[in-house]
Amino acid sequence: MLYAKNRKLIATAQAVVNYKDKKAEKVITMRKTFVSMIAAAALSAGAVMPAFGTEVTLGRFFGSCQDAGTDVSAAVGEACIIQSIINAFDAENDDFDVTTLPTDWGNYYDQIIASYASGNPPDVHVMHRHRIPEYGQIGALADLTDDLMAHGIDPDDWTESAREAVTWNDRILGVPMDLHANLWHVNMDLMEAAGLVEDGRPILPSSPEEMMEHAEMVREATGQYYLAADFSEFEIGVRMVLAFLWQQDSNIFANGTATINTPEARNALELITGLFDGDYANSRTNYADSQQSFLNGEAAVLVNGTWVVDFYAEQAADEDVELTNYYVADFPTLYDEPATWADSHLWAIPASVQRDDPEVYEGALKLLAFINDHNIDWARTGHAAVRESVLNSDEYAELPHRSEYDNTVNIARDTPASARYGAIQDILNREFQAIWLTGKSIDAALSDAEEDVQSQLDR
Amino acid sequence: MKTMENRRLALLYTMLALPAFIWLVPTLWMVSLSLQPNALLARTTSNTFWGLIPYPLTLDNYLNLLAHGQVHVWFFNSLVVALGMTIGVLVLSTTAGYAFARLNFVGKKTLLVLVLLGLMIPEQAVFIPLYTLFSELGWHNSHHGLIIPRLAVPIGVFIMIQFFRGVTRDVEEAARIDGANTFQIFWHVMLPLARPAMMTVAILTFLYAWNDYLWPLVSAQRTEHFTITLGLASLQSNFAQSEGLGSVMASGVIASLPVVALFLIFQRYVVRAVAVGGSKG
Amino acid sequence: MFEQFKTDLRWAGVRQNLVAWVFLLPFVFVYVAFLIYPFCRGVWISLHDWNLLAVTFNPDAKTFIGLDNYLRLFWGTEMTWRAWARPVLQGLCVLAALFCVWRYRTGELRWSTLWQCLMALLLLMFFFGWAPGEGGRWFDRRFWPTVGNTVFFVAMVVPAITLISLLLATALNRETRGAAFLRTLFFLSQVLSVTVVTLIWQMMFSARQGLLANVVREFGGVPLSWLAEPGFAMAAIVIATVWWSIGIAMVLFLAGLQDIPQEMQEAAKLDRANSVQAFWYIILPNLKRTITLVVILQIILHFQVFGQAHLMTQGGPNDQTQVLVRYIYQTAFRDSDLGIASAMAVFLFVIMSVFSAVQFMVSREDEQ
Repeated sequence: MLYAKNRKLIATAQAVVNYKDKKAEKVITMRKTFVSMIAAAALSAGAVMPAFGTEVTLGRFFGSCQDAGTDVSAAVGEACIIQSIINAFDAENDDFDVTTLPTDWGNYYDQIIASYASGNPPDVHVMHRHRIPEYGQIGALADLTDDLMAHGIDPDDWTESAREAVTWNDRILGVPMDLHANLWHVNMDLMEAAGLVEDGRPILPSSPEEMMEHAEMVREATGQYYLAADFSEFEIGVRMVLAFLWQQDSNIFANGTATINTPEARNALELITGLFDGDYANSRTNYADSQQSFLNGEAAVLVNGTWVVDFYAEQAADEDVELTNYYVADFPTLYDEPATWADSHLWAIPASVQRDDPEVYEGALKLLAFINDHNIDWARTGHAAVRESVLNSDEYAELPHRSEYDNTVNIARDTPASARYGAIQDILNREFQAIWLTGKSIDAALSDAEEDVQSQLDR
Repeated sequence: MKTMENRRLALLYTMLALPAFIWLVPTLWMVSLSLQPNALLARTTSNTFWGLIPYPLTLDNYLNLLAHGQVHVWFFNSLVVALGMTIGVLVLSTTAGYAFARLNFVGKKTLLVLVLLGLMIPEQAVFIPLYTLFSELGWHNSHHGLIIPRLAVPIGVFIMIQFFRGVTRDVEEAARIDGANTFQIFWHVMLPLARPAMMTVAILTFLYAWNDYLWPLVSAQRTEHFTITLGLASLQSNFAQSEGLGSVMASGVIASLPVVALFLIFQRYVVRAVAVGGSKG
Repeated sequence: MFEQFKTDLRWAGVRQNLVAWVFLLPFVFVYVAFLIYPFCRGVWISLHDWNLLAVTFNPDAKTFIGLDNYLRLFWGTEMTWRAWARPVLQGLCVLAALFCVWRYRTGELRWSTLWQCLMALLLLMFFFGWAPGEGGRWFDRRFWPTVGNTVFFVAMVVPAITLISLLLATALNRETRGAAFLRTLFFLSQVLSVTVVTLIWQMMFSARQGLLANVVREFGGVPLSWLAEPGFAMAAIVIATVWWSIGIAMVLFLAGLQDIPQEMQEAAKLDRANSVQAFWYIILPNLKRTITLVVILQIILHFQVFGQAHLMTQGGPNDQTQVLVRYIYQTAFRDSDLGIASAMAVFLFVIMSVFSAVQFMVSREDEQ
């Protein structure tokens, strides 16, 4: 069937090609072309919308999973777990028909903005806690407060931080799905070789100096990197710096004033550049490379989020993968108070859908209730659940590696709310990368970053 | 003399063999990677001869894509957009080009200058206002939304003007004496003559439409309206997260095949066409 | 009788006008509606503080701020004027001026044109003399570096493409199967879409999985992360672009070569000129016009580079591969700042029209 369709498309292309020099046949060929084009159109339209319920379009990132199926319990990884939940909802509800529009992470928010501005947003879409101010202040998102209970979503079951995440001006604008944070993913074999394991747990540093000592121990014992992370692509490196800032009770801005050019920021950055200078870490790795080097046993620690715990656990079980003894740890406290970067994924519905399209709104809410019911499945990725009932369940506690990083929810933090969050993160990422990739001096980078962030805050 | 010439040719080809090989390697590598299992590629990409030989060989990546992917939808969108744009540009540029080159009307000079000035406006300088305009019209996420902006670009008109100016007036006069009116002359005399120039316009437009990235990126926000160029960009990072390198490369090959096939069929025309457009431009 | 003739004539004139407008109307309508009008609208947007999202939900959320957006781009604090404040940009102006004078001396430029060019360049020189002095800074620190990156990209790509495609065209300008095959091969990459090109080259340059890295490792070297390495990221984009787009330039040169009379080449052969001499004394002078055309077309085309930088390096590391169109796109669709984005788009238009004007002038002077 699918092959036939493709052949037809190729036939279309050829029909178009063949029109040259055949005056007499031209009209006939053109007509043929037209007919086969319509046929192809009908076919591909059919492929997009197989059933006849009300269509609910859903926008998300997380990557694509083509073989997700409807068996939620069998799925591994963010993309496949979320897609299997959506597919299961779709299979159970004949009245609604969910069309998933997976967008690549790099362009996701640009395209969401573009879709809102063109009056065409997806009927329900995922977003981060940090974007709520940007969309909340212009009234772009539907106010779900009064409709949640009726659809079996109990906001009181959510943790306090999850409720905060979706609340704007005392109204609930979304359904939270998780709390995700930066963790230390540990290769226990390398740590063991360096003598950094005690009672089956890795010994993590409790001060900057100790971290450098550990790094040296790993280097001496194994010849591998102490730490790997994405320092050259996404904001993983920035989130490390932020954690070190908060641990010193500092922040990048407060009350509309940028406070980046500080001794605390200098400490944090010197700590990281120290790792590069000692060749304990490689500043050139992007997201995929850092992950691959960890899986290949080339780094004792990988700094990455909660979203990969089940994936790494699965990889560690694979005989072909170098990493075998995998452990997950809370982000260690190197300064005064514990802190790690965290954010939340949540689902929102555009205000226009609530206003103009009750049927679709109904479907979207039902879907969100279904996702809310599957909070435990989403937590399998490694994210922290948002529902107290899930958090307190045995099933949750028994999730692989979960007990190893259960303090993360208590130390989770993020920068102050701002409608220009995206632009600010981009400035930090650019300036920090300038330090460790292009050798810009820390002082110059910090003062430039402070001025640029200030001008964003002033907008 | 003949052998000498042959020897020189042989030397030339030997000298060109290396650059030709270098030019081909990236494409070969893509094809080769697309034929290897994802699990293997996750570990190493240099399995056999730096990964240039697809061994172990598998077709899974392609089968997977064809069975589940939206690649065929994107391909269809690209085809509709590229053909629609090509036909539209041909109609607009031949008619306007003919009028500018051969008909007299009030304000011709002014209008011509105005149109030529339009050549200086790059697409990137108007894509923001076009975006807001199309938002108001509700034209985003549609085929015509992707086609129309390019119809306004006057390069096609420019090429057609140059061409029609070069046609001798005798043909036209003869037809007029035979009692043909302007429309008949245009349809029966000028258009058949203009085939090479139309081919130029058609091919340049088709290639442009097939490869355009910026406008579809802002105008098509829904995956079912993506063109193949845009869809592929989203696949690249989506697949990198989950499906693996082999699938990404397979999607690249599938997206390229039709246009490469078109090119191979049309290549004589492409070469001639670019040349016609170029030497007149 | 005479009156009748006059009415006929007038009627004929009206008819001719009508017919012409039937032919013109479709294009003129589309042209005005979707190019001229949006362009004017773009200029209008650039005079506002215009947040994309906010204005969507409340059309009155924009405020007219005159030229402030332009000021934000081109100006800073503590601006002072110095003769060589920005040596690169001002140096380029001087070079351009010298080039014009040289063209005039060789008789290829008229006095009036030369004068106009020099005046324009002098104005630019003066403008570029303004820069933030002691303790000052640009309002937008990224704008000029971004323009600089774009210019640098063009300055690398255009000569490389021109040279390679010219050599290839000369070598392959013959009627043999081998030549036809090679022509196809070198043109082939041109038909790939930018996403496929970046997909291939992203992988080629990857330090872990890349083909280059695989080969380097085989010989015991340490592979380089091209796309994250300062200096190399731009080089990577340039290489990918050159690989992608020599096709059209090569074909243009082939066409130019076809126009060189066969007798000239025969004559050169009889004079026992070797290929290098033939290339230098016969081919190059005859291709002058094609070369100019190719160079200017390439400049206009590559000034609009977007996909390569957006997909391969995301502008990094440290903005080294950030280019103008990507900055416009980000300002508009990530930061929602339509006003500033539009001001940048207008700036892009001004640059493009300068090159287009040069092209127009060159081709006009050539025809005379």
